[in-house]
Amino acid sequence: MSAMANQPGDGAGADSRVDPRGDPFLGTRFVAPVRPATFLRRERLVERLDQGLTTPLTLVDGPAGAGKTLLVADWAERLGRPVAWLTAEAADQAPGVFWAYLLQALRAAGTRLSPGIGSPAHAGSVDQTLLARLAADLGDMAAPAILVLDEFERVPALEVAEQLEFVLHHAGRGMRLILVTRSEPLLPLHRYRAAGTVTEIRGAELAFTPAEAAGLLDVHGMRLSEDAVSALVHRTQGWAAGLRLCALAAQRSADPERCLKEFEAGQSTVADYLLAEVLKRQPAETQDLLLRVSVVERFRPALADALTGRTDAEAVLARLHHENAFVEPLGHDWYRLHPLFAEILRAHLRVRHPRSETELHRRAARWLAHGGSLAETLAHGSAAGDWEFTSRALVDDLAIGRLFTALRSDCPAELFARMTPEADGPAASIVRAARALADDDLEHGILHLRRAQQLLSEDTADPVARLSCALLEALVARRTGSPGRAEWAASVARDLQDAVPAERLDRHPELLALLLTHLGSTRLWSGHSDAARAALTEAAGSAGGAATAVPRQDALGHLALLDYLDGWIARAERRAHAALREAERYGVPAHARSGIGRLVLATVAVDRDELDAAQALIDEADAARKGADDPVTAAGRALAASRLLLARGSTQAAVAAAEPHATAVVASPWAEDRTVLVTAAARLAEGDAEAAVKLLEPAMDHRPAWTVEAARARLAAGDVDEAHNILDGLPATVPGGPALTVPVTLVRAEVADRAGDPATARRLVARALADARRDRLRRPFLDAGPWIRPLLAAAPADEPVRDWLDTRPRTPVRRVREDDGELPPVVEEVSPRERDVLRRLALLMSTEEIAADLYVSVNTVKTHLKSIYRKLSVNRRGDAVRRARELRLL
Amino acid sequence: MRYEIRIDGHLSKTLAEAFPELDHVVVCDQTLLYGPVVDEAHLYGLLARVQSLGLRLLEMRRVPE
Repeated sequence: MSAMANQPGDGAGADSRVDPRGDPFLGTRFVAPVRPATFLRRERLVERLDQGLTTPLTLVDGPAGAGKTLLVADWAERLGRPVAWLTAEAADQAPGVFWAYLLQALRAAGTRLSPGIGSPAHAGSVDQTLLARLAADLGDMAAPAILVLDEFERVPALEVAEQLEFVLHHAGRGMRLILVTRSEPLLPLHRYRAAGTVTEIRGAELAFTPAEAAGLLDVHGMRLSEDAVSALVHRTQGWAAGLRLCALAAQRSADPERCLKEFEAGQSTVADYLLAEVLKRQPAETQDLLLRVSVVERFRPALADALTGRTDAEAVLARLHHENAFVEPLGHDWYRLHPLFAEILRAHLRVRHPRSETELHRRAARWLAHGGSLAETLAHGSAAGDWEFTSRALVDDLAIGRLFTALRSDCPAELFARMTPEADGPAASIVRAARALADDDLEHGILHLRRAQQLLSEDTADPVARLSCALLEALVARRTGSPGRAEWAASVARDLQDAVPAERLDRHPELLALLLTHLGSTRLWSGHSDAARAALTEAAGSAGGAATAVPRQDALGHLALLDYLDGWIARAERRAHAALREAERYGVPAHARSGIGRLVLATVAVDRDELDAAQALIDEADAARKGADDPVTAAGRALAASRLLLARGSTQAAVAAAEPHATAVVASPWAEDRTVLVTAAARLAEGDAEAAVKLLEPAMDHRPAWTVEAARARLAAGDVDEAHNILDGLPATVPGGPALTVPVTLVRAEVADRAGDPATARRLVARALADARRDRLRRPFLDAGPWIRPLLAAAPADEPVRDWLDTRPRTPVRRVREDDGELPPVVEEVSPRERDVLRRLALLMSTEEIAADLYVSVNTVKTHLKSIYRKLSVNRRGDAVRRARELRLL
Repeated sequence: MRYEIRIDGHLSKTLAEAFPELDHVVVCDQTLLYGPVVDEAHLYGLLARVQSLGLRLLEMRRVPE
């Protein structure tokens, strides 16, 4: 097994242009807001930020409107070094989205990250190894990457905080993190404080001093007496937003002095009062626009026009920006409201235009459906409660596959959970069907799908909706083991492919990849191996990076099973590992991972007599199981479990486990074959050769494996001639890999041995050994029986084949190794960072020395060591180094 | 559970509407928001709303039914 993850063959884009929800990255989130002309630089705070570069973490922590963002933005711009910027959003609570954006922010700032880091496939999760790769990459940087996370209070998820802490900790000197937030993040700040590794700039420090307030008023063109400034600072407690609003209100007032006096004397809440003052001095159209755009996160003039129903947004926004009132430009014609002001304006909107919010969300959704991102369209559509429209937007975008690949664990998917029953168009039915199928609710899935198809048959010109239906139809076919239905769905999809906009198909490569995987799975089930391989190979080679990670790993798992069934166990193992690696690399969460890869590995382990490893893999596959299996997975599970039980001698349990737990429209020839074989082998092991013969002989033509088992049964019953006769029915060379051919060779050897032809028997055993060696296929030799022992012992002593066969104490074969020699396989790959530690272990460095050398803490090194010991199944340093050398990890 | 949230300054009618589930009364130089709070999630939601509106929170306490 290789120790390093290989690059996947598809060249999947680590720098793909879309986040795990399939939406293009919002470029505006990587840009620090532009400083307004009236910005006042405060050197004492700039110095504090400079100091912050000496500690891994800087916390800029203060209330809304304290001037945090502009302070850091101004500092970052003048730093003269690249600074990565990310404005957090509520959607970042989904770790996959957060890390995808964080990686993109680093890349946008020119940080050269290795493409091997990958990117999260799923919105809802990120793989720990991805974070470790990122930390290791940052740790190796010559100069630290500086990252600002603005508005981090929007991401209160503990999970994200822990992941951030992990990366920050392990990146060591390679990363400087500046968190800008209204509330304390859930990082273990006490530890940072104790270690002096955090620079904190808190509310009290952010507050304006009277001198600074005078400076701020000055840039607004206002001169006040010292006493008046002091009074203002006292009233606002030095709050930046309060001072700024004061200046704006006074500027627009006929009598600025009096205006400020009134404010000072009053007892109103500061922003509330001042914002109302500034707002009421705006022209009516401007007020209307400001209230309406408060429902959206960011806007362009055209969107603002859509919300107001007028056409003056461009001029109004330009003026507001010029006056530095309320709006902040984000570049490329996008604007946002200052978050504090947006919140207050929404309160004003609700009072002035009650119940208008729904309509505004609807307008925003409709505008965004043409010019914005799908996620935002869906968010506003659902906020408006317009489910037919929202479903339509999803289906029209050809994004239905996202409910299976990305959206499911993401907030926008949750959004369809609120869907009300009155929406009853084809799109709503398609979304309902997809949701039910994604939850393994086959019955309702089919019901909603039929409803959608019925509605669509009345409206024939809708290729996009039909293609979505074809995908769901293929999934239903896979779940019900129904090849006819799968082929029909695939042919419908082929006909429709040219009728839908190519650009949308390109944007959603997961749709066809999923469809091909379902088609391949159904073909595999019904025994059409070549056709299955064609569809699955195409699906496994899908481009699209994270978007198609779910179908890719699923298809790879199926291809592994195909190889296994053809007897190529080493090849099956490689493919199964590729499937697992793909799932890990893109952080595919447990519920979306294909179980087949693990089950194939378990069966391979049984063939190699690595029974504990097989058990562990089956347990893992059982633990990851979600709801009912599809037929292929059920058959894979039955195969792995029954073969393991058989190998352990539990014949009755093996027979019970051999029957797949799935209902299917058509029977699967190979699944039935395997069930009969396990049953016959169990009978034979119990000593009932006759029962085995009865099961096998009537239908053994064209089934070499059955013929072999029947011949063994005849031999067990002492009928050498009949065994010979049966074997004559086989072709001279049986097609397939060693797992199919070696048993044939061995049973021929046994016949020769029993017939008194030891030379032929020896020759055949030698050939079997040679065929099995590369795949380390041990099981047929263990199952062969006592006759084989002298033949193996007689093999030439320098024959290399016996080394691999002879690793187990239980084998009937003569032991060659002198030590206890049992080396469990490496079941998990050693990470690059762990290899770094291993290399230093080999140099006899102490834990402390390794920690210093790798710029990490002693505890981190200890954690790596523990994980290395576990992965290599050793308990000591010396053993770890020796084992690592044996595995060529060093 | 019933809670009482004390805010610094007089809250305008408009902004008080941002807390439709609570009653409010202006006392001295403070505003008192009070009423039933469904659960802890609601409580944290209220705190977040106070913060996002730029209000200065003075006190928050549970009061007898």
